[in-house]
This record gives sequence, C-alpha cells and structure tokens, in this order.
Amino acid sequence: MARSYLRQYSKFAIFVPFINYLNPYTKYTEQELVSLLLIQNDQAFSYLYDNYSPALFGVICQIVSDKEIASDVLQDVFINIWRKISSYDKTKGRLFTWMLNIARNAAIDKVRSRPYQDSLKNQPLTENVNSTVSNTVVDPKINDVGLRRSVNKLKEEYRQLIELSYFQGFTHEEISKILNLPLGTVKTRIRSALMQLRTMI
Amino acid sequence: MNIQEYISSGIIESYVLGLASPEERTEFEQNCSNYPDLVEARNNFELALEEQAGKNAITPPSNVREKIWSAIRQIPASNTPKIITMEPTSRRRSSRLGWVAAASIILFLAAGYLAYTFYNRNKELKDSNKDLEEKVDKMAKEQEITHDPNNTVVNLIGLKGSPSSANIYWDSTSANVYMIVKNMPQLPTNKQYQLWALIDNKPVDLGLFDAPKDNKVILKMKNTQKADAFAITIENRGNTGGPHLGDLQSLGKAKL
Repeated sequence: MARSYLRQYSKFAIFVPFINYLNPYTKYTEQELVSLLLIQNDQAFSYLYDNYSPALFGVICQIVSDKEIASDVLQDVFINIWRKISSYDKTKGRLFTWMLNIARNAAIDKVRSRPYQDSLKNQPLTENVNSTVSNTVVDPKINDVGLRRSVNKLKEEYRQLIELSYFQGFTHEEISKILNLPLGTVKTRIRSALMQLRTMI
Repeated sequence: MNIQEYISSGIIESYVLGLASPEERTEFEQNCSNYPDLVEARNNFELALEEQAGKNAITPPSNVREKIWSAIRQIPASNTPKIITMEPTSRRRSSRLGWVAAASIILFLAAGYLAYTFYNRNKELKDSNKDLEEKVDKMAKEQEITHDPNNTVVNLIGLKGSPSSANIYWDSTSANVYMIVKNMPQLPTNKQYQLWALIDNKPVDLGLFDAPKDNKVILKMKNTQKADAFAITIENRGNTGGPHLGDLQSLGKAKL
C-alpha cells in the first residue's frame, strides 16, 4: 500500500528504501532491486542474498567441489556484486546472468589458483596448460549436478569442449592448442555443442 | 542478415554463458539494439538458465551471510553518484504540496537534532568548566600555601619501605598546619592515618585523615605553635589514644 502511494507521489521515491525497511516481506522487481543496490541499500542486498545465494552457490559447487572453499568463493562473489553493481548494464542481460558469470569466473579463478592446486595433493602441478586436459575427468562429487548433468548427456567430443570452455575457463585459442584442432573447428563445435545443450535445459 | 539464422547459430548461448570472444560480444550487443527478436531469444535463454540454476540451488552454510556483511562494512561507501529513479508525474499541485510537507518534516527533524546536540554540548562544556574551576581553586590554594614565606616546609619521608610521603607547610606564627599528600596508599576501612607533632619528644595529635583519592590534595590539619618533628602513623579509625609508633609511616624534622 505504501508503495502504490509512493508511485503516485513519485518524487518521494527517495523514501522507498525507508518504506521497504519497514516491510521486510517486500518483493522487488529486478529494476527496483538494481536501483536500490546502486544506493547501497542494506535491505535490498539482504534480499538479493536470500533469493540468489543458493542458486549461485549451486553454480560454484559445480566447479569447486570442496564446500568450504566454495563458501569462500560465494563470499567473494557477493562482495564483488556489492562493489561492482554500478557496472551492471541491463541492456546486456538479466541481473542473474551477470551474477552467474561473476560466480563462474570467481570459481574458475579459485580452482586455478596456486593454493588450490597445491591442495590437490595427488595431482602433480605443472606450468604447462596441456597437462590440464588429463584433468577433464571431473570429481564425481560434482559430476552430476546442475548444468553438468545436461553436459554429460552430450557426446564426448562436445562434452569435453564445454568442460574446457565453460567449467575450466579456457579460451577458444587455448582449447585449439590443447586439443590440437584448428581454431575455426573449435568455434563451430562449441556453437553446435551449445545448440544441443540448449535443447536439454 | 538473416536474424533467425543468427539466433539459432548458438551465439546467444555463447554470449550469455560468457564464452563469446570480445568481437562476437560487440557484434551481438550491436545486433541486440537492432533486432528485438534477438533480445527476446536471449531473454528466454537467460530465464531458462536462471530456472535451471534455481532447480540446482544449494543452500550455503549459514555463517557466510554474516561474513559477507562484516566484509562489506569495511568497504568505504562508494563514490558513485547515487541514482534515484524518478518517474514523470502529472499531479503537479499535490506533488508541490508534498515537497513542502517533506521540507517541513526535514526542517523539523533537523531543528530537533540541532537542539539536542547543542543541549548536550552545552552540558558537556558546563561540566568541564566546573572541573576546571575546581582544579584552578586547588592550584591557587596550593600556590598560596607553598609560596607563603612564613611557612616552613617539612618533608615527611616514608620509613621502612613505606611509600608514604607528604609535605607539611607549617606557619609557626599563625600555627596553621597544611599537608600536601604526595603518596599515601589506601588503607583498610577500619584504619586511618594520623599526623603527629613531636614536641619535646612527646607526640601531639594533629588529626586523623583518610588516604585521599588523588594525590597532591591539600589537607588542613590541627594547629600547633611548636613542633620539633612531624610523624604519620597508621591507627584504628577514630583513634583517641597515643600513637602506635611501631606503625610509624613517615617522619620529618622541623628545621627551626
């Protein structure tokens, strides 16, 4: 009720955060949420966390198998969302997509970091990017969740390409070197793999 | 350009999942501003992805929320301009009235806040002024006593490892005795210090006193015209008898 009043007297928009503070059960539209995050409104950020952290944590856990490390990544992700919300551009996509990519990149960075690599005691670390191909055998704990479940249904050639590009963050050029395939082939195959994946989601 | 072909080329998935190259991204964004169909198709995939992520959600450990907040509290507020979206309105009159109302509320709150802070500050100033006056009075009195040429100064020095020490300012003409305590440890509640004048080797009571809370306090003691020496002992509270010289704390000879 307070909000519809405010919509009429829209110059009171400045009071929206205050009104929302009084009503903790508010539901925000994506646009309202972004506007409130831009003015660093605590309530909106709590709402964001409550509504999106499980989905983002699920995404992170597909890449980082250790739950404790995955929680650290989730923490960094939300701190980054708080800091970088002004760089979110709604013409380029939905808020969730933006956050999803922050989460995916943070998870990949974590997995590639030296401390993480060192913690994988059984896997000798080499500087050579090619060695990572052997790692495309994924920890069974995370092999059957979320997007991965769909990816696993792709034929092996496609699965490997999505694994390397999406879950391990290699560029097309790097993949072309790793798999010893022409760059053009890598690009077309990834596109085809994605088209198939699309029908499975 | 055949937009339907472009839509089904896998570019949307590639773009949304963050796998497109920078050139592909730029091209895609440009096409989005020209082809609403493309934007719709992108939006559909984004929604499907969001739904899919929602189905595979995992509740994070409960302590993460707290950790994030405490980390954010340490980030200084950003300098980015605060953006407040305002929609156009046709209700001009009521909105102007609204402005007046808002302004008066803000003024009222500001006035209240100012009155409150001024009241508090005034009180603080009064208190500290009173403190200062007391200190100045004390110092003036100390100055008066210590600089009076008629006063004889006697240093009472702690005995037997006792840290007790005090200065006696004694005016043998007016018989006034003042004592400035330099260091007197607190005593149990049933004990008091007692100052004595020794006259022809006989102790004369100059008054009982408690260890002052802060040092350099000036105490006015009983008058005496004569004294060969001054001494401080520890006695039972309200002592009326002679001194327990075994509990002699400090002693000083009057140089006459």
